[in-house]
Amino acid sequence: MTASILDGIVLGLQFGLLATGLTLMYGLGGILNLAYGQMAVISAIVTVSIMDAGLPVVPAAAIGIAVGALLGFVLDQTVFRPLYSLRDEARVLLSLLLSLGVALMIDGFLNWLFPLKGLSLFIGGGAIDVFGEPMRRGSLLASGITIVAMGGLVAFFRFTTLGRAVRSVIEDEEGARLVGIDPRKMLRLILVLSGGIAGLVALTRSMVAPVDVTAGFGITVFALIVTVVGGLGSITGALAAGIILGVINAIAASAIGTFMSLVILLVAAAVTILVRPAGLLGVKE
Amino acid sequence: MTERFSEASGTSAVGGVERRSARSWAGVVWPTLGVGAVLALVPLWLGDSRVMMGIAVLGLAFAAYTIAFNLIFGSTGQLFLCVGALAGIGGYGGAILADIVGLPIVVSIVLSTSAAALAGGLLSWVAVRRSLGVIFTGIVTLIFALTFENLLLGLGELTGGESGFLMEAGKGTFLRSQIPPYYLMLGMVLLTLFVYGSLRRSRYGWAFRALRDDEVAAELAGIDVARYRIFAATIGAAILGLAGALLAFTEGRVSPTTFGFAEVDVVVLVMLAFGGIGSFLGPILGALTFTVIDELLVEVGQLRVFIYGALVIALFLWLPRGVVPALDDLLRRRRAGS
Repeated sequence: MTASILDGIVLGLQFGLLATGLTLMYGLGGILNLAYGQMAVISAIVTVSIMDAGLPVVPAAAIGIAVGALLGFVLDQTVFRPLYSLRDEARVLLSLLLSLGVALMIDGFLNWLFPLKGLSLFIGGGAIDVFGEPMRRGSLLASGITIVAMGGLVAFFRFTTLGRAVRSVIEDEEGARLVGIDPRKMLRLILVLSGGIAGLVALTRSMVAPVDVTAGFGITVFALIVTVVGGLGSITGALAAGIILGVINAIAASAIGTFMSLVILLVAAAVTILVRPAGLLGVKE
Repeated sequence: MTERFSEASGTSAVGGVERRSARSWAGVVWPTLGVGAVLALVPLWLGDSRVMMGIAVLGLAFAAYTIAFNLIFGSTGQLFLCVGALAGIGGYGGAILADIVGLPIVVSIVLSTSAAALAGGLLSWVAVRRSLGVIFTGIVTLIFALTFENLLLGLGELTGGESGFLMEAGKGTFLRSQIPPYYLMLGMVLLTLFVYGSLRRSRYGWAFRALRDDEVAAELAGIDVARYRIFAATIGAAILGLAGALLAFTEGRVSPTTFGFAEVDVVVLVMLAFGGIGSFLGPILGALTFTVIDELLVEVGQLRVFIYGALVIALFLWLPRGVVPALDDLLRRRRAGS
């Protein structure tokens, strides 16, 4: 049981961080990015390809994350560009359809080019005891990196002017514009940031379990479930929901199998939408 | 939507809607029979090849899916991302009832089609009740589809898990022969087309157009928007269930990929975008064209998925002149209303 809970927390931290990227794009720009998981997969594939070429893991990982961020920038400049002239639901709907197209393109291309490729970062060394349970070093390092990244994100949004500017756009786009903040620039920043987050999660995930070329849609679905339960647009909601769902998932997976535990997560997301559309911790607008 | 556009610009073979409802069913019957006559000739051309006939049957099933999705999404603006799952309720339901429970095939098909209709109606009822917008309807139905897929995989004893199962029911009957299943499927598609065409010309069609144009105005004019939405979703889901069940019985096997989100919903979306959302013959033309394209692209393997992705983007951005502004229009009006 303790082992399951610890595994759940490791997974949940990653879910939470993953979901912040999706939730920010939605909250800030009304963009529901279904290609999010594929962005993570691209980062993983780039990293593994660079490592195959002989570079050590740290620079390879840095380049992988940078490519994720670059992909966010490219999406902003190309496919998502027509979205910005639309408003509200029309924008979300078109973003959903366009990003689905992007997801298919990336999936098809990667499957064609690297049918068997996957990233699996193995962190050596023996297991470390945590509350009497042996934990793999990889899991601990992944959790450490995730927590640091989360802390960095929260600090960025709370203490820096730029972070505050982003939050002001989420709260009131017109008001932000009036005080001289350009929502378009903020959105570009968020797309770049979320690409980087996707890449980072793919890397930390690969320290626990392999991330292969077909993982994209699954990653998007997890991120979407966590985002919905946490409340679309809420960063703290996403982090909390990630940990809660991660623990539920780990316990359910060991008790009734992975497919059925995913069913539980999906039902939890459906119930949240129907009972508390603003999310678990969300505030009704 | 596309339809309003073609109404404004005069006639269009695909999307044209004459401004009259009462005068005869000719506008529904003749196009339906025309499509039927052309498609009835296909076995003369491909009838020798079992593989090609299988693909033709699958193409017809997708035509029915696309018509149903058009009824639900195109006519009443409900983004149902569970086309495959609803068809799967028909397919797996029929297979399990006939094979494991041991009911007669016709009874199994009727029951599983009703189950799909009920599921579609319930989803729509929930969406209407909780006044979920297009996006949340999409997310909830996507969650429904994924739940269905995972249940298929998780309940392996009943469903055969990842590989599905081969069906005993229908073995040795005309359902497994080479050409008759095609005509069975064609009959179902024509019936579907006829039902859809008739609906468009009845007061339902007027109500659909009214609620799509301006939900609040429709409500004020005395149209029970909730009822029409649920009605459209129920009929659409029944079509999906029936098509799924017939596909299962003619193929003689069911598997999660036959009804998966990636394999069905994504393709149906492309087919509908291709054919023109909201038009009468567009969906069936889109589905059939795409079945042919899909077959031509079989050589390129996984790159096919890449091409579909590019096509989704291109279609929704540029091609059907109506789609983007029409979506915008539809949603802005809905939004302004809500």
